[in-house]
Amino acid sequence: MKFSFTEDQRLFASGLRDLLANECTPAHVREAWEHHTGHLPELWSRLAEMGVLSMLVPESAGGMGGTLLDAILLFQELGRAGVPGPVLEHMAVAAPALANTSWGPSLVDGSQIATLWVDNSPYVAHAQVADLVLRNDAVITGFSSTDVHGLDGGRQLFTISGGTETSASAGVFGLPASDVMALASAAYLIGASERMIEVAAEYARQREQFGKPIGSFQAVKHLMSDALLKVEFAKAPTYRAAWSASTGAETAVRDISMAKALASEAAYRASRSTMQVHGGIGYTWEADLQLWMKKSWALMRAYGDATFHRRRVGASVLSK
Amino acid sequence: MDLNETSEESAFRAEARAWLEANVPTSPLPSFDTEEGFALHRVWEKKLYEGRWSAVSWPVEYGGRGADYIKWLIFEEEYYRAGAPGRVNQNGIFLLGPTIMEVGSEEQKEKFLPSMASSEIVWGQAWSEPNAGSDLAGIRSKATRDGDDWILNGQKIWASRAVWADWCFGIFRTDPTADRHRGLTFILCPLDLPGITVRPIAQLDGDTGFAEIFFDDVRVPVANTLGEENKGWNVAMATAGFERGVSLRSPARFSEAVIRLIHLWRTYADPTDTALSDAVTDVWMQAEGYRLHTYQTVTGMLEGRPIGAEASLNKIFWSEMDVRIHEIALQILGPEAERMEGPFERWVDGFLFSLSGPIYAGTNEIQRNIIADRVLQLPKGM
Repeated sequence: MKFSFTEDQRLFASGLRDLLANECTPAHVREAWEHHTGHLPELWSRLAEMGVLSMLVPESAGGMGGTLLDAILLFQELGRAGVPGPVLEHMAVAAPALANTSWGPSLVDGSQIATLWVDNSPYVAHAQVADLVLRNDAVITGFSSTDVHGLDGGRQLFTISGGTETSASAGVFGLPASDVMALASAAYLIGASERMIEVAAEYARQREQFGKPIGSFQAVKHLMSDALLKVEFAKAPTYRAAWSASTGAETAVRDISMAKALASEAAYRASRSTMQVHGGIGYTWEADLQLWMKKSWALMRAYGDATFHRRRVGASVLSK
Repeated sequence: MDLNETSEESAFRAEARAWLEANVPTSPLPSFDTEEGFALHRVWEKKLYEGRWSAVSWPVEYGGRGADYIKWLIFEEEYYRAGAPGRVNQNGIFLLGPTIMEVGSEEQKEKFLPSMASSEIVWGQAWSEPNAGSDLAGIRSKATRDGDDWILNGQKIWASRAVWADWCFGIFRTDPTADRHRGLTFILCPLDLPGITVRPIAQLDGDTGFAEIFFDDVRVPVANTLGEENKGWNVAMATAGFERGVSLRSPARFSEAVIRLIHLWRTYADPTDTALSDAVTDVWMQAEGYRLHTYQTVTGMLEGRPIGAEASLNKIFWSEMDVRIHEIALQILGPEAERMEGPFERWVDGFLFSLSGPIYAGTNEIQRNIIADRVLQLPKGM
């Protein structure tokens, strides 16, 4: 029994963190919002070069040949930076699912962008910037998209119509696309939550009222500690779910649901507490906090919300 | 990462399971917070010791098995699975013992550890005072040097197990001129010395699990000092960190409670009540999350990443989870939850006990301050 990541896994994640610290600052994320694409082409190229986009594609198809366990800390780093665009959809599902099709090479090198249309939603996130949409049973190209105005500027939502369908399967690693996305989103939400807590802690160290930094007040300390508590206790379940998914464990779906339920609730708690700590500035467009809050509010519901996933866990553990 | 057990770990689990199945008393012992129960638990501890199961993580020379933390967790899982008795010498084996191993002299290790492992000596703890609870550094009980002895004077309170324990450990002020956190010394003291009065305190459930201890010119040898003189705060915090971190409440306790809760839910609850089934699922996830988090922490410790202030997160998590588990059980029990005795008394008594969790070993409010100050680096202040 060994519950830790390898040196290689940690180093790759910290390399990605370094890249994103420069290439995906809050100013970059705002840029993606303001272009109404929710996408950063330069960053996309860098993620392709680094092997992030092809992490889960087999080596035989030109990818990095990683497992979901190899990728889980990367999803978390993407969340810390609030990376906009279809990176999770492309990386976690579309690229590995289509690796051995004619789209494979262009998804590995990032020259084409894929997104997903999962069963439980009428909307397709990131459709405007995507060259292809992978549905459960088909790839759709040449579609037209209508903006339905998503809450998160880095995750624009559309309905799509028309286009050409080619039969394909969105299942990867023996799991449905929506479950792989639930796992990737759980890790992304953990990263986003950590960042919100860091940003609010920094604010609480600087902002003074009653002649003292507000972070010295217990009411603020306890809000922040409780937010951290939920995030910290969502991590191990999320890493375990990645291990279960990577090893084909019987409990993989249950474990993914546990991770998504806990991470969704942790992210919501983090968004509420950190906004409260910011006071009035937290309610402004100007505060960067919204970049991670809105991503959290989008992803906590996408690919199954906490209630959906909790009930799936319940169906597994409460039955005889 | 490999969350499967090694064959060595599985063999260890099987050995523990077999021994426990053969030796755990078939009917539960009376509470160790009663005189009869305390004596019976001491007998049980001796049996554990003879099977070399009383302190599995201790070195072999002191009565343990030199088991690593992973194996300790496995043993705990088997222990709770077997429904084995509560650990009457927990204060000694899990708190004081590791501290003695860290800072004690060779002589102290030889003197105190084997008798602790066998529970020939059962330990009570003497931290808090009437005016030093959450503000533990406000300790006023004094130890004054007289030749080779300390003379102890003062009053301790909420001293767990002290009613029937043989010895206690605590911190005493030895340099009244020093800063609050300095000038304290960690001292080990027999409870049958002249000048000691132990006054039992009835807990919420009526049992006397803790006591006040009055020290009136109590003479103990200076050799009973643990760690350096005037460095008692640091020694105590090492103990408290370990207590909050891993050893005080191992995950198995809660995993087992949730298994019992699910059984209760299946037997008595309305399965169409989704609010209730969601609540039961939620505490299952909490117990499972705590288990996974602990395995991750312990792997980190084995790989050289010691647990720090984040230990306070654990203490908040398990104590609030324990309350929640019992609240849900009482909700399922309905009118039966009003009875202190009867077929469900373990749940009702467990509920009362769970309410002490957010208070003892440093209140959860103090833990939240510690997390805010040391993990989140927020400015000090109240």
